[in-house]
Amino acid sequence: MGNQNRKRLIRQFTIPLLAIICGLLLAAVLLLLADKSPSAAIQSIFRDAFSCSSFNNCNLFTTFSLATPLLLTGLSAVVAFRSGIFSIGQEGQMMLGAITAAYLGYWVSLPDNVHSIVIAIGAIIVGGIYGWFAGWLKIRLGINEIISTIILSEIAILLLLYLVNFPMRADQGATAYSPKIHDTAMLTVFAPGSKFGTGFVIAVSAVVLVYIYLWKSGKGYEQRMSGEAPRFAFFGGIKSEKAALRGMFISGGLAGLAGAIEVMGVHYRVVSLPIVFDGLLISYLSLLNPIILMFNSVLIAGLRNGFQLSFQYNLGINREIGSIFLIIVMLLIVKNNYFKSK
Amino acid sequence: MKKILEVKNLSKYFETTNVKANSDVNLTLSRGEIHAIIGENGAGKTTLMNMLYGLVSPDSGTIIINDNEVQITHPNDAIKLGIGMVHQHFKLVPSYSVAENISLGMEPVKNKFFIDKNLEIQNIKNLSESMGLEIQPESLIKNLSVGMQQRVEILKVLYRNAEILIFDEPTAVLTPQEVKELLNVLKNLSEKGKTILFITHKLGEVMQLADTVTVMRLGKVVGTRSINNTNTKELASMMVGRDIEFSRKLNPNETGEEILDVKNIMVLNEVGVPAVKGVSFKVNKNQIVGIAGVSGNGQTELVEAIVGMKNIEFGELIFEGKNINKSNVGKRRDLGISHIPEDRIQTGLNMQANIEDNLILSQYSSDQFSRFGILLKSEMQKFSREVIQKFSVASASPGGGVSMLSGGNMQKVVLGRELFGNPKLIIANQPTRGLDVGSIEFVHETLLSYRDAGSGILLVSVELEEIINLSDIVVVMFDGLVSGIVNPDNVSIEEIGLLMAGEKINPENLIKQG
Repeated sequence: MGNQNRKRLIRQFTIPLLAIICGLLLAAVLLLLADKSPSAAIQSIFRDAFSCSSFNNCNLFTTFSLATPLLLTGLSAVVAFRSGIFSIGQEGQMMLGAITAAYLGYWVSLPDNVHSIVIAIGAIIVGGIYGWFAGWLKIRLGINEIISTIILSEIAILLLLYLVNFPMRADQGATAYSPKIHDTAMLTVFAPGSKFGTGFVIAVSAVVLVYIYLWKSGKGYEQRMSGEAPRFAFFGGIKSEKAALRGMFISGGLAGLAGAIEVMGVHYRVVSLPIVFDGLLISYLSLLNPIILMFNSVLIAGLRNGFQLSFQYNLGINREIGSIFLIIVMLLIVKNNYFKSK
Repeated sequence: MKKILEVKNLSKYFETTNVKANSDVNLTLSRGEIHAIIGENGAGKTTLMNMLYGLVSPDSGTIIINDNEVQITHPNDAIKLGIGMVHQHFKLVPSYSVAENISLGMEPVKNKFFIDKNLEIQNIKNLSESMGLEIQPESLIKNLSVGMQQRVEILKVLYRNAEILIFDEPTAVLTPQEVKELLNVLKNLSEKGKTILFITHKLGEVMQLADTVTVMRLGKVVGTRSINNTNTKELASMMVGRDIEFSRKLNPNETGEEILDVKNIMVLNEVGVPAVKGVSFKVNKNQIVGIAGVSGNGQTELVEAIVGMKNIEFGELIFEGKNINKSNVGKRRDLGISHIPEDRIQTGLNMQANIEDNLILSQYSSDQFSRFGILLKSEMQKFSREVIQKFSVASASPGGGVSMLSGGNMQKVVLGRELFGNPKLIIANQPTRGLDVGSIEFVHETLLSYRDAGSGILLVSVELEEIINLSDIVVVMFDGLVSGIVNPDNVSIEEIGLLMAGEKINPENLIKQG
């Protein structure tokens, strides 16, 4: 049976890989039809997404920093789904985390290191409460979490737009953004020229912590049992509602942390952040497994980088077409999951 | 009377469950009669009905309608042949009106396209008047009582010109008042020339209503009687069967002190109707108390109330002298109440999880399995291996999934968990349902050994044989009440059968629990 587990694990990793290979083949066909060289295209993707020529000129590092929000929002979705709540509110929770970080980063002064830790904790709490609230709406009032998280996300986005445009606006420039956070609040960047730094390390640590929580701890056991088989959990005396609310707090906290890291490690202010809704999708592609999620986030971040930017720079294929390739790859992975579940 | 339907040597074998649901069933219906089919759970009544209605196709045998041999492979065939079925669980659209539901799929049309609403309502009015089934065609289904919804189902069948109406336990969902009305409706329909076939396990209704009664047991027809030539006693004994080998398996022992006292409890079912309506009994150490009864008479709700999965409306649960009404499932488990649930797929096990995770359910937070909130993998594996070995769970490993296991081996996993740590009270609900003979034997022996070791056991089963073979005393439930508490050594199987059917027996044979 241990052998069987190993086989399953191998399958879980090979499925996305095969899907990517199929996606690339399909992309190659499309490229041929457009009179572009597929081999040049694929080379350019891997060069711009996964190559590393020197420490200070490393595309892989950029990919890592792009993968960070995907990883954290994906992790957020994993925890929510594993608690049996189909929360798609990662975007809103992330926005609130970003607002919190921008606020604490500029309007509060604290010593180096302490400042960023305080911000991270603040963002986790704010995002966590927002997630918890969606869970509370479902459990206490029976409001469907899909609807409530969509609405809550919308509210968070509007709140962010309002704050950035009015109370938190830095100057009267064409684009509204909040003032730059203090240096003490910024995360360390390891490699100049990229945003690869502490943020990615935090995200990877979060993966490890979530993995330990879900699969090694008693509380995580409650979480999984309640999510997978609610009746079984109830029968065994597990307080499923409490477990689900805890799961939603953690889920919201992770998304909030994603927002904070974008502010502290990438933009140093809130603009209107790019939507990282992909985290939700990738969590599904990764079969709700944090470890697979970690690899997939890097992969998808890299491919997105490659398909969009690299195609545009090197082949003159505009980025929207590039996104289509990415979507094809994702569809293939979903399709594979479908076959796997058969 | 003229024969309308004849069934000859109908047989059906279900491969997946290895059950011969019907073997050589013969049945004759005369036009205009009310024919009841009675039998215990698993007697094959529903399979027979489903074959007549085209939901299940027979392996062999013939169905003859109006002297023509017919093949019924789909409900549409049945409807064309004039057979209609009123299901126990209604198939109605709640947001549609009565008329729309009745004529669904065969609406009268005007101008070749539009539904003729007026004609539709008029048709339904005419139908309901001619059949004496009063109803408001315009009212919405969701605003109707269960009894009225059933009436809509009947009209639906009549609208499709059914001559033979099949009812699957029609009174199970009704209030006593509605039952009375239904019985009148059925009599009325038979006077209008319709033939009625209904499944039930309530003997009282059969005696009140039926012209003829066929008794089934274990997939076979035991006999057919005209209602004038039989009585409840005979029917009850035909139902439970004389020829079952009963062998009481209990070691004589001293019954220990009282462990559970159920005092006049009332429990509601899912839809808020009382399912347990004031039940009292006691369980002692070293004792197996069997709860007998046809399924659906409140046993499930009773069990769920005792283990804490359902609230008690009134009454008291006393465990070891303390009231546990307010304790939740986890607390009761900690006190030493374990529960082998009737549904092992959804309740007893988590099919997505491995054996380890399934086994630690009730003690994952104990010191044995966790330290500082982190689960101890090695202890979990050790425990899993112990259970797998002790209960000889075939083809299982600690990290393997439970979904691949056979039913018997799944149940062994449940037993392994629930019997861990010598529980004081074991609630076993249908512990052998769907198991093969070997596994049944194993479960029985296990329960008996725990009884001898000092546990109090509440055994709920619809298998009367199981109850009688294993129980020190038997509590018979009917319609949410205790119809009698007996010692199986002192009463006949027929008497228990009567109690199960809601009839009375000689009060001297009943045990009074103070």
